[in-house]
Amino acid sequence: MTAQEAALNRQAIEALQPIHAPPTSFFRKYIWSLDHKVIAKQYLWSGLLFLLVGGILAMMIRWQWAFPGQPMPILGPTVLARSGGVIGPGLYMQIFTMHGLIMIFFAITPILIGAFGNFTIPLLIGARDMAFPWLNALSFWVFALSQCLVIAAFFGDLGAAGAGWTTYPPLATNIGTPGTGQTLMVAAVFVTGVASIMGGINYVTTVIRLRAPGMTYLRMPLTVWGQFLTAILNVLFVPVLGSAALLLLMDRIFGTQFFIAGAAAVKGGGDPILFQHLFWIFGHPEVYILILPAWGIVADLLSYFSRKPANWYRGSVLAMSAVTVLSAVVYGHHMFQTGMNPLLGQGFMLLTLIISIPAEVLFLNWLRTIYKGSVRLTVPMLFALGMVFVFGFGGLTGLYLGAVAPDIYLHDTMFVVGHFHFTMAAASFLASFAGLYYWFPKMFGRMMSTRLGKAHFWISVIGITLVFGGQLLVGYAGQNRRLWNPFEYDLFRPLAPLNRWTSYAAFTLFFGQLIFVWNFFASLARGQKAENNPWQVGTLEWSTSSPPPPHNYDLIPVVLRGPHELSNPELKAALGRDWVGQAEVVATQLPGAARASGRGAT
Amino acid sequence: MAAARGVIPYRPVRARGDDTAWLGMVIFLGSWAMMFASLFFAYGVLRLRQPSWPPVGTPPLPQLLPAVNTGVLALNAASLQLALQSARQGRRGQVVAALLGGLAFGGLFVALQVLLWVGLFRSGLVLEDGSLAAVVYGLTGFHALHVAVGLVGLLALVPAAVAGTLNAARHTRLRLWVMYWHFVGAVWLTLYVLIFLL
Repeated sequence: MTAQEAALNRQAIEALQPIHAPPTSFFRKYIWSLDHKVIAKQYLWSGLLFLLVGGILAMMIRWQWAFPGQPMPILGPTVLARSGGVIGPGLYMQIFTMHGLIMIFFAITPILIGAFGNFTIPLLIGARDMAFPWLNALSFWVFALSQCLVIAAFFGDLGAAGAGWTTYPPLATNIGTPGTGQTLMVAAVFVTGVASIMGGINYVTTVIRLRAPGMTYLRMPLTVWGQFLTAILNVLFVPVLGSAALLLLMDRIFGTQFFIAGAAAVKGGGDPILFQHLFWIFGHPEVYILILPAWGIVADLLSYFSRKPANWYRGSVLAMSAVTVLSAVVYGHHMFQTGMNPLLGQGFMLLTLIISIPAEVLFLNWLRTIYKGSVRLTVPMLFALGMVFVFGFGGLTGLYLGAVAPDIYLHDTMFVVGHFHFTMAAASFLASFAGLYYWFPKMFGRMMSTRLGKAHFWISVIGITLVFGGQLLVGYAGQNRRLWNPFEYDLFRPLAPLNRWTSYAAFTLFFGQLIFVWNFFASLARGQKAENNPWQVGTLEWSTSSPPPPHNYDLIPVVLRGPHELSNPELKAALGRDWVGQAEVVATQLPGAARASGRGAT
Repeated sequence: MAAARGVIPYRPVRARGDDTAWLGMVIFLGSWAMMFASLFFAYGVLRLRQPSWPPVGTPPLPQLLPAVNTGVLALNAASLQLALQSARQGRRGQVVAALLGGLAFGGLFVALQVLLWVGLFRSGLVLEDGSLAAVVYGLTGFHALHVAVGLVGLLALVPAAVAGTLNAARHTRLRLWVMYWHFVGAVWLTLYVLIFLL
């Protein structure tokens, strides 16, 4: 290539994504910002706030299971003053309903997808912003509107929503829960779905259209793969939830009878089971929507901090894609007990169990990535390892529930609760923290305290294992979920001590998070200034400043190799370090060698 | 330049941005197609659960108005396609005329829909009348909402059409709205066949 040709190429690349003038007014900088990094932080703040709300609600549930009918300390005299600090059955239903909905749609989703998706996708593929920055800002503010609806639901007459997070009719219709709180929550789910779809359209388009030159699909970090596949699932399946919420809203507001049957419907009526179909056609992909970004982040971090290329990168990509496809055809395993045709049930069982094959591929890839690596036990790495540990529990217990025969026994027990908390709460939660500790320097330009981070890690991972392990145990013993006072039943009375100890672990877990809160704000204020590349990793975001300028890259990088080019002996000899940037030109390297090492080969 | 070896072939920036916008619209419509597919799935389940359809005691659905309305939407689609074609060829007057035609047919559709609902209501089908009423009012209502959104979108394009900025070089906004309208039309056709004909 001549110098003139190179200049023409550079001109062409730069013209694709021109640098826009940075915003100057407060409004354009912090409120209606089009910068994906600012929008990511907006999602992060709002998600963390609702994580706290959801966590407090969880503590109320745990108090009820440890000391049923006794006045609650701290919250009792303040929030629950009207009932003398005691959680009654009606209020208890609202608490577990709101806990589930808030954690899934308004805490984990905005943190894992809203914050990390927004922050990482453009930076990691070498783009200057999202494909549709305006839509991105709109997506956040629509999401903020849905959070306002959630807050409003707490003040609804007859209280907040109380039909369970799955919102099954007929309980979720006006017959079961006539209050405005329930209506507002269904509306909030619909609105947050609209925000998710907007975000999903943006993520998919950005990955397809805005990858930097040389950033082929198989050179993308697995983090981006996770976000990309999640966005595809969001785009395709959140509308199904939208349709369910829409029909339920029509039933609640306009008096139609989509889901009302029996004595309540004089002229024919609808079908409550229909809602379960619509809900789970969405609901099962949703499970993977919440775990795919976590898988991606963890797969990358394990490689970075083992100083080894990710084991069988292509296999991981293939496995994640296979899970994405399979997730669309397994939803029936949530409905074995609805009178489903047994043959259909067996089909769903088979498909469900097939998912364990790609999941296994992924899991073994993680283990083989750390095997014989020079493992650096940094805080993000610890959280990534913790995620692998708890996800193992979550995945294995899923096999029992995916098979028809054990599911009939375990259905609607605490075993189910333990299982999905190990995957959705524990694994996604720990991966969120792994990502947060890892990208905090890039997001805010400061380092977080390692000592406090490690303390936070050990309390979190031990606490999580004890809390959700306790749930698995009582569930295996038969204790039903959602019981206001399980110990009213003679057969569950012997489980009271186990429940109480589980609650003690939960309280410890909750208060352990205060270490994180302290660490987060203290580091924001006076943490050590972060270098551009504190973790010594080669992906693109670490080649720009910490925090990056509004346009991310002064020059759009031209990518030469895959994301996990660690401890390559040739490059080590040439550079004197065990990592190399994805776009870094190494003088001694022949052009052919650069292309060969870009395949992500191990 | 195109002949130069080693130079990355690239298209003008605007064309690339237009392609990106087009892709975004395709993904959005794919997503929304899932929404309507779920609604039709709901209709199918409700209908199969009934011993007879229409359920005993519900008035028959009108046949004429929905058929006329299908024609109206077809005319709307034709005018909008003409508007797009004219914009590509840079014929300003024709763009405005065809756009207004599309608006008129779209507006007529909504008016006839309202007439349909009033007629149904007068014949004794109220919202609370079980699954038939739920499906007919719910699905046509939600669809009509999309037509209304499309009307607002077209209305916002009129000033640009009059000013002549929807021309051969720049017509992506019009192209995307026409795509949206074709989508809404296809949904109506499905809805018409499934609910009123079958």
